[in-house]
Amino acid sequence: MLFNFANVLTFIVFGAVFVGINITLSRILQARNPHPVKLSTYECGELPEGDSWIQFNIRFYVIALIFLIFEVEIVFLFPWATVFKELGLFAFVEMMIFVFILLVGLAYVWVKGDLEWDKSTAVPDPALAPSAARQELTEAIAS
Amino acid sequence: MDYSSIIKDNLISLNYFLPELLLTGLIIVLVIADLFLKDERSPWLSFVALAGCVVVLLSVIAQFDLGSRSLFQHMLVVDPFSVFFKLLFLASAIAVIFLSIASVELAGRPVGEYFTLLIALTLGLFLMASSTNLVTILLSIEFVSIVSFVLATYLKTRRRSSEAGLKYAIYGAFSSGLMLYGLSLLYGLTGTLNLYEIGDVLASRDSNGMALTLSTILILAGFGYKIASVPFHFWSPDVYEGAPTPITAFLSIGPKAAGFAVLIRFFNVALAGEPANGASQWSALPELDWPMILAVVSAITMTLGNLVAIVQTNIKRLLAYSSIAHAGYALMGVVVLSQDGIYATMFYLAVYYLMNLGAFLVVIVFQDLLGSEKIADFKGLAWRAPVPAIAMAVFLVSLTGLPPTAGFIGKFYLFAAVIKAGPAFYWLAVVGLLNSVVALYYYARILKTMFFDKAAEENSISVSPYYVTLLALLAAPTIILGVYWAPLQKLATNSVEFLRAL
Repeated sequence: MLFNFANVLTFIVFGAVFVGINITLSRILQARNPHPVKLSTYECGELPEGDSWIQFNIRFYVIALIFLIFEVEIVFLFPWATVFKELGLFAFVEMMIFVFILLVGLAYVWVKGDLEWDKSTAVPDPALAPSAARQELTEAIAS
Repeated sequence: MDYSSIIKDNLISLNYFLPELLLTGLIIVLVIADLFLKDERSPWLSFVALAGCVVVLLSVIAQFDLGSRSLFQHMLVVDPFSVFFKLLFLASAIAVIFLSIASVELAGRPVGEYFTLLIALTLGLFLMASSTNLVTILLSIEFVSIVSFVLATYLKTRRRSSEAGLKYAIYGAFSSGLMLYGLSLLYGLTGTLNLYEIGDVLASRDSNGMALTLSTILILAGFGYKIASVPFHFWSPDVYEGAPTPITAFLSIGPKAAGFAVLIRFFNVALAGEPANGASQWSALPELDWPMILAVVSAITMTLGNLVAIVQTNIKRLLAYSSIAHAGYALMGVVVLSQDGIYATMFYLAVYYLMNLGAFLVVIVFQDLLGSEKIADFKGLAWRAPVPAIAMAVFLVSLTGLPPTAGFIGKFYLFAAVIKAGPAFYWLAVVGLLNSVVALYYYARILKTMFFDKAAEENSISVSPYYVTLLALLAAPTIILGVYWAPLQKLATNSVEFLRAL
C-alpha cells in the first residue's frame, strides 16, 4: 500500500524536476524578439477582438442543458453497444425504454417552445404582468 | 463473463420494484398529459397525480408481505423498514397535492411541471429509503436535492423564492461534496461500495480509527443536510420561508424522514456490530464512537433550533427552526442502538408528519385569508376564524409534546428508549426534557397571540369547507393517536426490521 504511494511521489518529483529543467534550459537558449503580432492570441489567423470574459446569452444555457442530456445518453449507449450481442433482446428492450423516456423529454421541451431561439416573454405571475414599456422592448428585440 | 445470471437477477428484482416503476410511469404520463392540455393551469393534472399516488399506495401496501430482499445486485433493498418510509412519503405526497390544489400562491401558474416534479421527488425519496450501496445512496440524495431546488424556486418571479432555491442549491452542493469525499474515504478503507460488505470488512479487521471517524463525520454532512441538523441547518429557515408553502410542508417531512431512513440504515448496517441472537440492543464499532457523535449533534441541534425559534416573528421561519429542533429529538432514538430506539424514531417521524403538516396547513389557510405570515398579524384570530385556530392549538400542543396528543406519545417513546439504554445517555434525555420546556414557551406564545390578544378587526373570516375538511382530517388523528396509538404502534413495530446481512 505504502509502496504504491512511493511510486506516486517519485512520479510527482520526477515530473516537477523534468519540467523545471526544460523550462530553464529554453529560457537560457532562446532568442527574444518581441513583436505585437507575435504576442497576440492566436485564433486561426483571425485577429482577436475584445476579451473572452464576456456574458454569454442565457439562451445558450438551455441548449447546453439539452445537449448534456443527450450526451449522457450516448455515454450509456456505448457500453451497451459493446455487449449488445451477448445480451440480446433484453438489452434492446431496456435501451428502447431509456431512449423513449428521453424522447418524451425532448418532445416536452420542443412543444413547450424551449428550443425556439426567440422566447416568448410572457410572465406567469399575474401580479407581474408585462408593462407597456416591457412589451415594446420585447417587440423591439423580436423585430 | 456470464451475463445471464445478472439479467435473471435483475428481472426478478423488477417484480419487487413495482411502486418505483409505477411512479416512473406516472411521471411520464404527467409529462405527456401536460403536452396535450390546452390550459397549463387546469387542475386536471393534480387529479391524475392523485389517482396515480393512490395506485402506488396500494402497490406499496402489498410489499409488506414480501419480507426482506436485496435487489439489483445489492444496490437496493426492499424490507419492512423501507416500506414503512415509503408509506410515509406517499402519505406526504398525497397530502401536499391536496394542499397545492387550493393554494393561492400557486394559482394562475402552470402546474404541469409542479406535479411532475412532486412525483419525481417522491420517487427520489423511495430510492433513498431503500439504498444499500454508497453509489445509490449518493445518487438518490442528489436526485432528491436537485428536484427540491427546482420546487423551492417554483415562484420564480418572487424574489424570496429565487433566493431560497439558490441558497438551497449552494448548501446542497457543498454538503454533497463533503459527503462524496467521506464516501470515497470509506471506499478507500474497505475496498467496496456495498454497505453489507463494508460492515463485514470493518468488523473483521482493525481499521484506522482516525480515518474512519473523519469519513463518518464527512458523510454525516450529507445526511445532516437532508435532516437539517446543526451545523448543516443554515439553509432551512430561508428555504422554508421562500418556497411555496405546500412545498415547505413537503420538504419538512419527506426529505427529513428519508434522511433519517438512510442514516439509520447506513450507521446500523455498515458501522455497527450485528445484534447477538434475539438481543434488542447492539454496539457500534469499537474504533468509532459514532453514537457519541450523533448524541452531541442531537443535543446541539435541538438546543439551537429551540433557542433561535423563540425570537422569530415569521411563522414559516419559526416552524423551520422548530423542525430543526425536532430533527434533534428524532436523532435521540438513533443514538441508543436498539430496536426500541429505531422504533421510537420511526414512530416519532410518523407523528411528526401529522402535526407538522397540520401546522403548515393552518399557515396556508391564514396566508390565504390574511395575506400575511407574521405571527403578530394572528392577533385575536381565534375569535375571527375559530376552526383553523383550534386546529392550530391541537398541532402546537402536539409539537410541544403534551398529552393528550400524538406528539406526547412520540416523545414518550423517544425518552423511554434513551433511558432504557442505560446511564450513558441520561444527559441527553435531560437536555431533551429542558428543550421541551423551551419549546413550550414559543409554541404557547403563538396560542396566546391567537386566543388572548385583541384583534385589530372584529369581522369574522369564513374558511372554505375544503380547508375545514383537511384540517379535521389532520387534527383528528393527532388527538386520536394520543389516546389510542395501538395501530401506529403495531405498524412501526412490524416495520422496525431491516435487512441486516446478505
